[in-house]
Order: sequence, then structure tokens, then C-alpha cells
Amino acid sequence: MSSRIARRAAVALAAALWLLPAGLAGAQAQGQAQPRALTIAFAANVNTLDPHNTATIGTDMSVISHLYTPLLERGPDLKLRPMLATAWRMVDPTTWRFTLREGVTFANGEKLDAAAVKWNIERVRNPQVNARIRPWFRLVKDVNVVSATELEITTSEPFPALADQLSMFYLLPPQWAAQNNPATAVMPSGPYELKELRPGDRIVLGARAGYWGAQPAFGTVTFRIVPEVASRIAALMAGEVDLITNVPPSEFRRINATGRAQAGSVDSTRTFFIRYNNLKPPFQNNRNLRLALNYAVDKQAIVETIFGGQGRVANCGIMTPAYFGFDPAIQPIPYDPARARQLLREAGITGPITIDFDIPTGVYLLSQEVTQAVVAQLEEVGVRVRMNEMEFGAFMNRYLRTRELSPMGYLSLAWPTLDGEGLLSFYETGNIYAYWEDETYTNLLRQSRRTAEPEARQRLLQQAARRLCDEAPSLFLFTQPATFGTSNRVQWQARGDDWVRAWDFAPR
Amino acid sequence: MGARGFFRALAASKAGMIGAGLVALFVLLCAAAPLLPVPEPTQSNLRARLMPPTLSWDAIGAHPLGTDNIGRDMLSRILYGGQLTLAIGAAAVVLGGFVGVLLGILAGFRGGITDRILMRLVDIQLAFPLMLLALIVAAALGPSVRNLIIVLALTSWTRYARIVRGQTLALREREFVQSARAIAASPWRIMTRHILPNVMTPALVVATLELARVIILEAALSFLGLGVQPPWPSWGRMLAEGRTYMASAWWIAAFPGLAIMLTVLSVNLLGDWLRDYFDPKLR
Repeated sequence: MSSRIARRAAVALAAALWLLPAGLAGAQAQGQAQPRALTIAFAANVNTLDPHNTATIGTDMSVISHLYTPLLERGPDLKLRPMLATAWRMVDPTTWRFTLREGVTFANGEKLDAAAVKWNIERVRNPQVNARIRPWFRLVKDVNVVSATELEITTSEPFPALADQLSMFYLLPPQWAAQNNPATAVMPSGPYELKELRPGDRIVLGARAGYWGAQPAFGTVTFRIVPEVASRIAALMAGEVDLITNVPPSEFRRINATGRAQAGSVDSTRTFFIRYNNLKPPFQNNRNLRLALNYAVDKQAIVETIFGGQGRVANCGIMTPAYFGFDPAIQPIPYDPARARQLLREAGITGPITIDFDIPTGVYLLSQEVTQAVVAQLEEVGVRVRMNEMEFGAFMNRYLRTRELSPMGYLSLAWPTLDGEGLLSFYETGNIYAYWEDETYTNLLRQSRRTAEPEARQRLLQQAARRLCDEAPSLFLFTQPATFGTSNRVQWQARGDDWVRAWDFAPR
Repeated sequence: MGARGFFRALAASKAGMIGAGLVALFVLLCAAAPLLPVPEPTQSNLRARLMPPTLSWDAIGAHPLGTDNIGRDMLSRILYGGQLTLAIGAAAVVLGGFVGVLLGILAGFRGGITDRILMRLVDIQLAFPLMLLALIVAAALGPSVRNLIIVLALTSWTRYARIVRGQTLALREREFVQSARAIAASPWRIMTRHILPNVMTPALVVATLELARVIILEAALSFLGLGVQPPWPSWGRMLAEGRTYMASAWWIAAFPGLAIMLTVLSVNLLGDWLRDYFDPKLR
């Protein structure tokens, strides 16, 4: 008898909950003993949990940042803040000194001290390990353990961006790593530990008791892999996830109209452009043609319409104001089809011309819309374009391995340390990404590397950026807005540099 | 079976009339696209993107079916896309039919080892999921209109070959073939002059039904990015591009979807009627 009443009461309660406004029901559920949960949707799979074998900020590194401790970390304000290192400075042009926090350990009790940091740097520099991030440390000459809390790094030439670079460097426990594979197993020193790893589907993290820092606000963090953008939006609107990224601005109104989620954007540090293959005709030694196409594309219209006014036209280059070395005096190349036609004539192109254009699919926000709009505009000035869409892996293979990039390829670049030197090195002669050889530019860049004094360095980087604009080895398009949607359950300190971290969120 | 009898029978069948009428209408409209007052299918106006379809008299002249995600006229893209879809479908059916009929007659007439090899080949291919085969070949050859036709023809020749072989086996024993043989006609002459005309009717029925299937397959391949390359329109491709906008701009995906559905439906109706018409048991 009593059980029947109880059952009836349960049904009534369930019905009442069902009828309650969704927000209220959610608040009630949260008020109970359950720890707060945060769910984040990723567009792409997480490929490895080994912090030394990935440079993908948006997925792999973001998950890793919950599990391990770096020396320093870049906050949502894009400034560096202390983590394991409490202080850091350049004592002379080729020496950096770090002071470390005392008493930080991994979950298995292993100490995270100066010796462990040295071991980590050496692991990456060891050619046999073949770590993905090995190039970051090419300038590091030696690591000296002064004491358990003092570390000195010497470099072969001035390396002013070392601290920025180390904000992407997460530390493994040396003894544990000798017996385990860090790609799939975790021995954490960070605020979270791994609860569940289902490749291609989800990664579940739980807050860890022994963390040296403040306990995080969310007891559980789940990363779900949802490749399809429409599915991500549907999941957000259904309240299944708290954060989605790469939202087409055309869907903002629909998301905001639900009242359960908000969409928005911040400036990102990622610039999109069409890379010319300057090692081959028609672009080789043909500055007029390179410039002509820059004049032929209405970048402003693309930003205003396809990106709904979010984002900004590229300043005739790939740097955004967030980078060290940005030159506000460099202006975007205006949209001027008449000038484009004239430059085409000066480039010696009188008849119809067809140019091949490689486009990676499925990675960049709204890439189909952008590339087709660009192609339609190039056609207006008499340049026919043959579009070859291909899967991102095939594209990168063509671009970097077989070195067969078509005359044009759709690409974007960002450099997480926000140092212009790193970003500009993608155009340096000899860099496999470059497809361009320019002595003046390369010399300026190399000179900047030998210069430790910040102002002189900045001037050199600005000169290099100016040279890049003058020679136009690419068709510079726009800086993409970092678009996102968040549920009403959380408040996110949105950031434009791809990092997704639970402590940038606050529950509401 | 004169032409007049044919059309009288067609007029008597409602399904047949609808099918034939719609097919004729689509073919005419798509073929006449360059003569119609529509913009070029690749001409884009970013500032007029995502315009909804309209019935208002003032705006209907500009973009009656609205514009797509980069401001291209939907009507124009449907028409030019249809041109391409129908042309590719027809070319694939003709190519597949040519190969299939040829090999079918050869297998049926020669018999023996030729027959066995060809029919096992057909069996092997039919055991393969068609879509998988098309995907593999399309990915290996690379996307282009010519390769698309080859892929589609490759997936369809087996159906002709089977039916034509069966028909040929029956015809081979008939008196007119026997008498042609008796007067020492060459095998080539017997195959082309005596057997081919008699297998054309069933082949035609297969071809119509194949056309519908090939159109769907073409749309599927283009949807996956292995078919027609942008910026040129194709219905499958338009469907794929409109998918993201389904909730905010339904017309981008809805109209090509509708076009595929109506075309395939009408071709199927016509094919069904043709089959019944040529089937002596049903007359």
C-alpha cells in the first residue's frame, strides 16, 4: 500500500518537474549533493594525451591542461600567469631562470621539482623520442638544476619567447612515464584526473583531491566529440552541453532565441589567407599577379556577411593586434576590381587564365562559403579558378609532405605564444610551410632572433611584416572570429586562442 | 507497336502521363536555362545572401526561390544543377547500357567460358555494396565530371548484362537466328542484326529505371564531395551545403531535395509504365 503511494508520489513529482521551467528544474538538480558538471563539445577527436606529442590547442592540449601542470599558463586575458613557476626572468640574453613552487607532487607521490622539469625538457629534445613539439626547444642548449626550486635554461641564441613557449609545455612524472604510455594513460598533477576515455566519443575527467592549487568549481568535466556543426548546435540548445565552438554567425539569433543558451564571438589570433605557391608559375616572380588577386577580393563583404560582422579584415598580413610585432600602420589591401584588372594586364595576363585552388574540408569554420565567394569574385576580374576540395589530411600531405601544393591553397595560421617571430617564421625561406623565398624578409626575421632588446626586436618584426605586405606572397583575407555558444548554466571567459579550460568557466 | 499506339497507351495511364510529363518538363526547363532570365549560377552577391523564397510580385523577378549561403540565385542553381545532373545521369546510363548490352549479348551468344567469366564478374560486383564501390572508385580517380560518369556507369552495367544475357539465351535458339546461322552469317552479324534489336526493349526499360538510381547515386556522391566540384552547382552538393542552414534557411536544402525527389519519382513512374507496356503478359 505504502509502496503504491510512494510510486504515485514519484510519478506526480516527475510530472511536476517536467512542468517546471527548464531553468528551475536544472537549478534544483544542481542544488542537490551532485557535484557540478561541465560538458564541452569538441568538433574533432582528441588524438593523444601525451603532452609532448601534440600541438593542437583546441582539443588535445586543452584536455591535457586539466591533467598536468605547466611552468606557466596563459590566462583568458592572454597574459602569462604562474603555475609551477612562481617567478621567471631573463638574467642575460641567453639565460632564463625559473623559481618553482615547493611541494608539488603527482598523484603517485612523485615530486614535480626542478629535476623533473629537466627530465621533461630532455625527453622532448631526445631525437629518439621523436616528440612532436621537439622544434620548440631547438634553441635550448642546456638545463641546469640549481636547487629543487631553482632552474636555469641556457639557449644557443637569445630566446625571448621561451616563457611564452613554456606556457604550452606540460610536465610528465619521470618514473611513471618510464613504465606507462602517456598517450593513453594519465598520472595527473593537475586539478583533474582521467575517469573515462572513449576515443572518438568522450573523455570524462573528475576533480582530484590532492591537487596543490584551488579546488575547481566543477566536479566533473566531460569532453564530447561532435563533428557535425548542426549536431553541436542541437546539443547546446537541448541543454546537453555547456560549450560549443565554431558556430556559424548565421545561427546566433536562433541560439539566443531559445533563452537557454547564448552565442557570441571574440577576436581570435588566427588569420586566414590563400597561400600562393610562389615556387612555381604563375605566381613565381609575379608580384603584380599576387597583388591583383588581393585587390580583386572584397574582404570587407566576407567579414560583414558570412561572419555577420564578427572578425576583421586582415591587415595585409597574418598578424593580429594580439601579437608582439604587430604594426598598426599597415593597412588592409582595399577591394578595387579596376586596379586588379590593371595589375593583371601589367602581369602580362591578357587572355583567360585558370588557376587551381586546393581547399581542405571540414576543419575551418564556413570554409565552403568563404572559398566559393572568393572564387566568384576572382571570376569577376577574369581569373577562373578550379577548386579541388580534399580532406584535411590529404591537403596537409600535399602541402607539406609531397610538396605539390596547387598554385593556391586555403589556410590559416596562429601562433600560441603570440610572438610575431614565431608566426612570421612560416614565411621564412627554408620553412616547409613557406612556398616562398625572399632574402630581405628572411634576413629581417633572422636578425630579430638575434636581438634581445624588445623595442629593436619589435621594429625588425614590423619591417618583416611590411615586406610581407609589399611582396604579397599570399592573398590575405581576414582574422576569423572565435565563435561559441554557452549554456545558461555557465559563464565563460571567452578567449580567442583556442584553449578550453574548466577554470575559465563559472557556474551560474 | 506503332508510335500512335504507344502514345495512346501512355495517355491512358495516369502514372505514365505524370511521369512522362514531369520528365519532359524538367528536361525542357533545364535545357532552356541559358535562355531564361535567371542570373549565372556562380554569380554571387554576398550582401544578398540567405534571402528567403518569395511570392510577392515585386521581388519574385529577382530571386523567386531565394538565395543561398553566399548570395547565389537558387532557381538558377537548381536549373543549371539539373542540367548537369540529368546530363551526367543520361551519359552514365548510355555508357553503362552500351557496355552492359554488349557484354550481355556476348555472354549469352558465345556461352561457355566467355559466359562463365563474364557472369562471375557480374556476381562479384553485385556482391559488393554499390555505394562502397562508387566511393572507392570516385576517391581513387579523383572528383571530376568525367570520372563521375565512369563511376556511375561502372555501377550500372551489370543489370543490363544480366537481363540481356537471359534474353539472348532464349533468342539464340529461335528460328530466325538458326536460319541466319544456316546461311553462314558471321557471329558479329547475327549479334548486331538479329539479336540486338530484340534485346533493346528490355534494355530500354532497365535504362529508365537505372536513370533514377543513377541520379540518386550522383547526388549522394556529390553530397559527400566526390562528385561535381564547386562552384558549379549539383543537387546533391547543394543539399550538403544547405544542411547546416536547415534550421535558419530551410530553402537552401529543401529545393534541391525536392528537385531530386520529383525527378526520381517521375523517372520511376515512366519506367514502371514502360515495363508494363512492353510486358506481353500484362497487355
